[in-house]
Amino acid sequence: MSYLSTTDFAEDPAFVERFTRTMRGDLELAWMDASREKVRCTPQNERRGLTFRDLDVGGYGFTAMPELIRQNRSFAPRGAALPPGLPDLQAEVNRKSEVWAYNVEGYYEEAMTRQWNATTDIPWAELQEIDLPEDIGKAYAQLLTFLTEVEMIATDVPAKWLGRLNADFFEVKNFIATQAMDEARHAEIFRKRALSTGWGLMRASAHNEFNLKFLRDADTFAEASLALHLQAEGMVLTLFRFSEYISPTEGDKKLFRLVMQDEARHVGYGMQHLKWVLDHFPEKRELIHHHLDEAENFVFGGGYATEVLEPFIILSGKGLKKENVQEGIRITNAFQVKQTEEYFERLAKCGMPERRERSRLWKMLELNKDALGAA
Amino acid sequence: MSVTFPSLAFFQALQVAMRAEQERFSRLGFFDTTFGVRVLGDGDARDEFVLGFEVFDCVHVASGVDGRPLDFVVEGPFASWRDMLDNIHALGAADAAHSLNTLTHFGEGLQVRYDDPDGHDKMYRFAESIQEFLDLSARVDFQYPDGSRPPVPREKVRRTSA
Repeated sequence: MSYLSTTDFAEDPAFVERFTRTMRGDLELAWMDASREKVRCTPQNERRGLTFRDLDVGGYGFTAMPELIRQNRSFAPRGAALPPGLPDLQAEVNRKSEVWAYNVEGYYEEAMTRQWNATTDIPWAELQEIDLPEDIGKAYAQLLTFLTEVEMIATDVPAKWLGRLNADFFEVKNFIATQAMDEARHAEIFRKRALSTGWGLMRASAHNEFNLKFLRDADTFAEASLALHLQAEGMVLTLFRFSEYISPTEGDKKLFRLVMQDEARHVGYGMQHLKWVLDHFPEKRELIHHHLDEAENFVFGGGYATEVLEPFIILSGKGLKKENVQEGIRITNAFQVKQTEEYFERLAKCGMPERRERSRLWKMLELNKDALGAA
Repeated sequence: MSVTFPSLAFFQALQVAMRAEQERFSRLGFFDTTFGVRVLGDGDARDEFVLGFEVFDCVHVASGVDGRPLDFVVEGPFASWRDMLDNIHALGAADAAHSLNTLTHFGEGLQVRYDDPDGHDKMYRFAESIQEFLDLSARVDFQYPDGSRPPVPREKVRRTSA
């Protein structure tokens, strides 16, 4: 226990005396006298239910929230009375611009209704009946091993930041809590599928893990979000769609459709967060470029490592024969081009069209396009 | 009564079929997107439709996409749409080679057109809902403009594409 109370309550006469009086019916009721803002919150759409957007009223709402949270340093929910003596929890993130995103409340509601279950929503028994050829089975198990590795860190990152955000960022905290749950479910389903192929978990990837460590160790939430939500998850979203495309069975296709839904929602938050930052703090543009320079270096090293690239080639070419491998390289190259183009499309939409010209990843894309043209 | 693909009546039949599956779609979660379907015919001929989804329902079906704010448009020649719908009708749901994502991923069968990548990503945010909506066409009694019909339903045989 690193934190100890400065009071031993059982031995504190004033506390014990107040407790005894309360339990005898002598109520203090001071909390009832606090002057509070009375509001009426009703669902704008009854089919949708009572949403966070319906609660965006007065001092309880998020629209009126200031950029700097100076008052609330505690766990007090936004809008509650703050009596003297609340602890200072030393939240690390107290600027709205570091966490906020357009429509974050909508992403949360969507996340809550679109939860699914890795244990029961996949036709596991049906998948058990399908024997994959050895080369396909091993390549698929290796891809699933890589994805399990990725999703474990994708769980850790939002979970790490959750308690470091000021309590006033209620909607963001709830959203990244759903993200942690989503990613944990992804790690679960990839592990389950790897083991259910019969080939088990294959080899961890050092290059990939350096990239994951970079994501985990970001100095600020804004850096973590840029690298995780927008860049890494944007690329993983294209990867999930590609994985659905090359999946060997209908059950696997469903698996990838379910995970891509969650991933696309996280990317949506990342895009709307970056837009928010650039709209409100254009002076941060250069910092964002510097962070992306490093993030892109890691993602290139991780995403294109042997343990990742070769399974894609085998799965998309449908085998290890020479002609399969050649076809696999052609398809995988097309995927890489698509993945990179979509990443830069998103950045441009967020207000960074100049990123293409600065990026070494874009130069790699040009090489890939040349290779694709020559094939 | 049989409807024709492509036609407004076809998509209205899907809308009715979705209403009959309230519980199934509610379980899949909020489904908020408006997208277009474009069926390309010979030359400049094209049939276009708008499908609007809100909360758990298909709330809007209309002909023509011009000037409407759309998240994305799924576009392809009639033969590609027919290939997908025949497969769904025969098996009750798309098989591994005919899911919407597979058909559109590299634009080999169908293409996805979009201006805004955020709108494009909605195709993936609601991927399972969209797939299940299209799979409802297995229940629709329809024919093609030349009077031919999709294959009769048969017991779904799970296949691998490996």
